[in-house]
Amino acid sequence: MSGCNCPGGQAIDFRQETENEPELTGSVKSQLRQWPVQMHLINPAAPYFQKADVVLAADCVAFAFGNFHNHFLKGKAVGIACPKLDEGQEGYEEKIVSWIDDAKINTLTVLIMQVPCCRGLLSLAQEAAKKAKRKIPIKYAVISLQGEILEEEWANN
Amino acid sequence: MMEILDRNIKDLINQYPSMGKALDDFNIACTTCNVGTCKLKDIVEIHNLSEIDERALFMKIAGIVYPGKTVEIPHLPRKAAAAGAKKKFSPPMQMLVDEHKHIKRVIAAIPDLVESVKSSLPENRKTVEQVIDFIRNYADRFHHAKEEDILFKQFEPATDIIKVMLEEHKIGRGHVKEVLAGLELNDANRIAANLSAYGALLTEHIFKEDEILYPWMERNMSDSQIGRLYSDFLSVEESFDGSPQRLVAFAESLTLNKIQEVL
Repeated sequence: MSGCNCPGGQAIDFRQETENEPELTGSVKSQLRQWPVQMHLINPAAPYFQKADVVLAADCVAFAFGNFHNHFLKGKAVGIACPKLDEGQEGYEEKIVSWIDDAKINTLTVLIMQVPCCRGLLSLAQEAAKKAKRKIPIKYAVISLQGEILEEEWANN
Repeated sequence: MMEILDRNIKDLINQYPSMGKALDDFNIACTTCNVGTCKLKDIVEIHNLSEIDERALFMKIAGIVYPGKTVEIPHLPRKAAAAGAKKKFSPPMQMLVDEHKHIKRVIAAIPDLVESVKSSLPENRKTVEQVIDFIRNYADRFHHAKEEDILFKQFEPATDIIKVMLEEHKIGRGHVKEVLAGLELNDANRIAANLSAYGALLTEHIFKEDEILYPWMERNMSDSQIGRLYSDFLSVEESFDGSPQRLVAFAESLTLNKIQEVL
């Protein structure tokens, strides 16, 4: 991947922006309610997915968005994936269909980075939703490289 | 100033008529509301004005209520960022907005129908009956039932805006009853007056829901609530025995000059 010129692989230095940030004291409680989280490893029929509000996050999102646990993960089940690098993504689509039809999840929130290749994860979720028999609301949020929410919108309409 | 914010808008406009114009300038059409029981502070919050517009409105109101005096301009706390780009509705709310389009199509037919009824009730009796069938089964049983039995129950029943919406549903049902009584008594004027009143009421009611109520509700519901709402609405669609497709087909069969500008 070293020769890749796409925005997703471009080297950018944020050190200056983070240098003057005040240091947080105390620990932040994890909001993770399950294990595993990687899409190849999860079982869509696991009890914590039943009727749950589910987050499907691109791998980089939790690193870029500082308040990931409290803002996006709290009260939700999660699966993570990389739409650019992961192999066997047809398996992901089947698992999302199973979330919707078998686990009867309540909502799906797709979190992606602003880099163009990340849109693939949203497309994959939308394709899976089309194949599912049940209908659920799908929301997406786009996170900037420096952790801002650039866009947050319903994806069904 | 805070005591003014806690008063209901109808009383305020009655006492300070220029306040209606001040609200109109910010696209808050309380002067046309049939009920007017909302508190001023709730109206400002529900309309999601930007902080600049909110301050400008409060300064105008202060000038009307306390002319020549210096008063502290309040700032209302917000639950969500105000007045950004118009966002898409969530799927359940979009479902209601789409249903409004069918209702607006039928409302657009009312003025011509009213004129025809005045000319000859016997020739237009069947169309009036079809319109009433649509209003009772689609607008009321199918659409308003989703609102009253599911959506409004997500909120505190004492909320003024909810009370106003329920009151307007009730007034609408009253007009329908009057049209039916007019049909029974062959009273064309009674039918015409109540059809017209229903059309005017629903036009205003739908505007308030699409532009103000639903966006406010979305800002105040969690994603999880939205998910359950969608599931409940889909259950209503599956179990509804009044054939909404038949009623939608009737609305779509109406060809009118004004439809495009109404939708």
